[in-house]
Amino acid sequence: MRTSDVIVIGGGLAGLTAAIAAVGRGRQVTLMTSGAGTLAIGGGTIDLLGYLENNTLVATPRAGLSLLPPEHPYSKVGSQVVEDAVQFFLTMCQEESFAYTGGLDQIQWLPTAIGTVKPSCLVPLTMDSTPIQTASQVVVVGFTRLKDYFPELISKGLGTIPGFQKEYQEIVVDPGFTGGRDVTTLDIARWLDTIQGQQVCREQLVKHMKPGSVVIIPPVLGSRPSYVVRDTLEKMLNCKFVEAVIMPTAVVGLRLRAMLLQRAKRLGVTIMEQAHVVKAVQESKRVTAVITGNVDRERSYPTKAVVLATGGFFGGGIVAEHDSIGEPIFDLPVTAPAEREEWGTRNLFADAAQPFAKIGIQVDTNLRPVNSEGQVVLENVYVAGRNLAGYDYCLEKSGNGVALVSGYKAGLNC
Amino acid sequence: MQATVVVIGGGATGVGILRDLSMRGIKTVLVEQKDLAYGTSSRFHGLLHSGGRYAVKDAESAQECIEENTILRKVARYAVEETEGLFVRLPEDGEQFESSWVTACAKVGIPAIPITPAEANRLEPQLTRRIRSAYRVPDSAIDGFRLVWQNVMSARQYGGEVLTYTEVTAIEHVNNQVAGVKVRNTITGKTDSIACDYIVNAAGSWVGHVAHLAGVDVHVKPDRGVLVAFNHRFTSRIVNRLRPASDGDIFVPHGSITILGTTSSPAERPDDTIPRTAEVAALLKIGQPLFENIYNYRILRAFAGTRPLYSADPNAAGRSASRNFTIIDHEKDGLTGMATIVGGKLTTYRLMAEKMADRVCGKLGVDAACRTAVEPMIADASAADMAAAKRFFPAYSVNSAVSRLGAKLNEIVKVMEDNPAKRQLLCECEMVTLAEVEAMAADPTSYTLEDVRRKTRIGMGTCQGAFCGFRGVGVAVANEFIPAQEAPNFIKDFLEARWNGIRPVLWGNQLREAELMRGIYGASLNIDGAVKHENK
Repeated sequence: MRTSDVIVIGGGLAGLTAAIAAVGRGRQVTLMTSGAGTLAIGGGTIDLLGYLENNTLVATPRAGLSLLPPEHPYSKVGSQVVEDAVQFFLTMCQEESFAYTGGLDQIQWLPTAIGTVKPSCLVPLTMDSTPIQTASQVVVVGFTRLKDYFPELISKGLGTIPGFQKEYQEIVVDPGFTGGRDVTTLDIARWLDTIQGQQVCREQLVKHMKPGSVVIIPPVLGSRPSYVVRDTLEKMLNCKFVEAVIMPTAVVGLRLRAMLLQRAKRLGVTIMEQAHVVKAVQESKRVTAVITGNVDRERSYPTKAVVLATGGFFGGGIVAEHDSIGEPIFDLPVTAPAEREEWGTRNLFADAAQPFAKIGIQVDTNLRPVNSEGQVVLENVYVAGRNLAGYDYCLEKSGNGVALVSGYKAGLNC
Repeated sequence: MQATVVVIGGGATGVGILRDLSMRGIKTVLVEQKDLAYGTSSRFHGLLHSGGRYAVKDAESAQECIEENTILRKVARYAVEETEGLFVRLPEDGEQFESSWVTACAKVGIPAIPITPAEANRLEPQLTRRIRSAYRVPDSAIDGFRLVWQNVMSARQYGGEVLTYTEVTAIEHVNNQVAGVKVRNTITGKTDSIACDYIVNAAGSWVGHVAHLAGVDVHVKPDRGVLVAFNHRFTSRIVNRLRPASDGDIFVPHGSITILGTTSSPAERPDDTIPRTAEVAALLKIGQPLFENIYNYRILRAFAGTRPLYSADPNAAGRSASRNFTIIDHEKDGLTGMATIVGGKLTTYRLMAEKMADRVCGKLGVDAACRTAVEPMIADASAADMAAAKRFFPAYSVNSAVSRLGAKLNEIVKVMEDNPAKRQLLCECEMVTLAEVEAMAADPTSYTLEDVRRKTRIGMGTCQGAFCGFRGVGVAVANEFIPAQEAPNFIKDFLEARWNGIRPVLWGNQLREAELMRGIYGASLNIDGAVKHENK
């Protein structure tokens, strides 16, 4: 069997970014996935850094970087790599005709489904909230039977936040779906992909629009990585649309995932789905092959390097049982507080990091796994994404940011 | 406000007394410092004892249990699931105890039917194959939340009133005769007084605090019990270990879950109810001989409660202290018009209420008989109502909807009939519809999402509030039960209460769920940073 230059394990944002960065350097890359990653759950905005560990807001993501502790993945790779990764991402989106906006020198405040705003960094054009801040009237649009979305929660909550205090109105659009089952944002996005859906939506909204109106809508402006649906509706109704951050399922994440997959395939990344990597073949401190264990048999795939982007506890890249914790493929060292009681703090939402959130694999500045003495344990394995130790993405709002930056760095190094 | 009797404490005993007195035509108001069933009435394994557990050591308790068990399976049947129970003996448990247990059960009238170990394994395939002997007994599962709520719904129909989040700040008396209570709503801060002729202190683990307000002493030792709720119903019957009662040897199935309990250790405070990892680890270890795969079962959460153990013997503690109940008439302390009821167990709550109500009636000179042993808590829904309910509730959850809603069933079905959007399931784990959540959130006793949870079971399933919590807040804001700017705090309080039970079991899928929960509410919706933003 042909030996890959790189096998990337994990098809989330970190893995896809690593694969695209590596193939761009002329490497022969195989991407193995056994799940969809968390883009469809967390969403497709690149939250880079909003808060420090004591829950204080950063002035800008760039300003925050210099205040992070040395064990943070951003500190490990250095601010230049963060800068390069951001540029890499923005350029890639531009080239795929699905441009993102934002940068390290500003915070993108995004309206959320619970009526708060959250700090992000790179966002699709449909989520740029500037139009709200300059609008006179804001129409919050909901959809009949859409479960995890309450227009009142958004309008009443935002109405109390400086910069978002506008005249709000709530409208519920009825797509006329029959069958009585629950409706998701993905259903509505697919409906709005159609010309008929766009026209029904326009008919129900048009009478509520005034000059200067802005529409807040769940992420339903098309299911694909393109702005065609947004552009069409904005033209039809002569107003701006802003998509809010909502509960899963995250259509915005699905769009980004589709864009990344499309780019990876076009650049020649070999993608293997349902490839569940169970272990590896090692020679001294190097991995020479990974082994997949599907229902029928085990298969060995030779490689010169590996990017490990298997996720954290949620994704299964780190596994904790009542009396153990580990990384299941390479059995890499994972450091965690000795007493289980200390894994979580007294409050789930405290002004401090959760110890369990910071559990992960320790790495060197090249993202290679190290042991407790700081020595590299596998020289050709690079760790990217949620399985990295040393950061609490929920508190910091840095999840996709770390995935992007570490994926990019791993793709450059492997 | 004015009432004839004020009952302090919204647990099973208190609401039982409220209902009993109301049914006898006595104007009664119940005050509860938190929510209904906030205390021990929901913090136990939910076992309606057959009495088998007490047969050897305490024949009187055992007899009370089997009698009350028989009554409650009829009158409280919408809070009871007749699972039946098994007592199983393992090789390491003494044969001697088994023979004295069989004799003791026969003596107090507990039907204990011997079955072969093979039959026990056939009935409960997950049970260990190491069983030496097994018996079937009429143990049942009882839902403490539902039992308390159904008592309240019934009491209201007889004029009984309930004030939640209402703490008693003073007990007033004139010439050593009770005159009333002063109360304060802990959420609104509003104060009030309720004039009354008689006060019943049924505050469970808090009875000592209440007695203190009246200037009398009641010594109660809070005794802590920790329990684990598993995500699956891996046994259909209650399973007891056939040996002298000790920690962690009862498994109780409830709906789709199973509860393992319990421990017994002295607590410092009545509200010492946050479980610890070490306690859970001990429970799992003790439970493993009965269910050998116990470490592979997904845990939902752990929880803890305190039993109010009252003993004339100040040295008795834990399992050696009596589980019987006592009524203390404070006339002996020189205060007329007040009594404290303490001790006992949930299985005998109705009997306790009956005895207490008899006492109150005697004092007030009211001649009315107790009817709680014969009158069902919830009347059976009519065939027409059931047929209507079946059109809107998921087929397999009609009965549980009936039991949650009681007399409100009609009203809810009507709402669902008129507005199809209200039929939507707000909580998929526990099959709770939007219409029900709106109705329960509108009840005057509902102040927080936790209160709605206890009435409907939202947030009690696999997601532990990760999804339904958001929807609950959406309903509360959309219906103007809470101001919108409170939404982040409202959801935060709800999730923190869930977290108390998840933190001690932070591994496996519980840990993954916690990561998802923080991902949604922290990373996506930024409820933790929301407060900070105000200072931006």
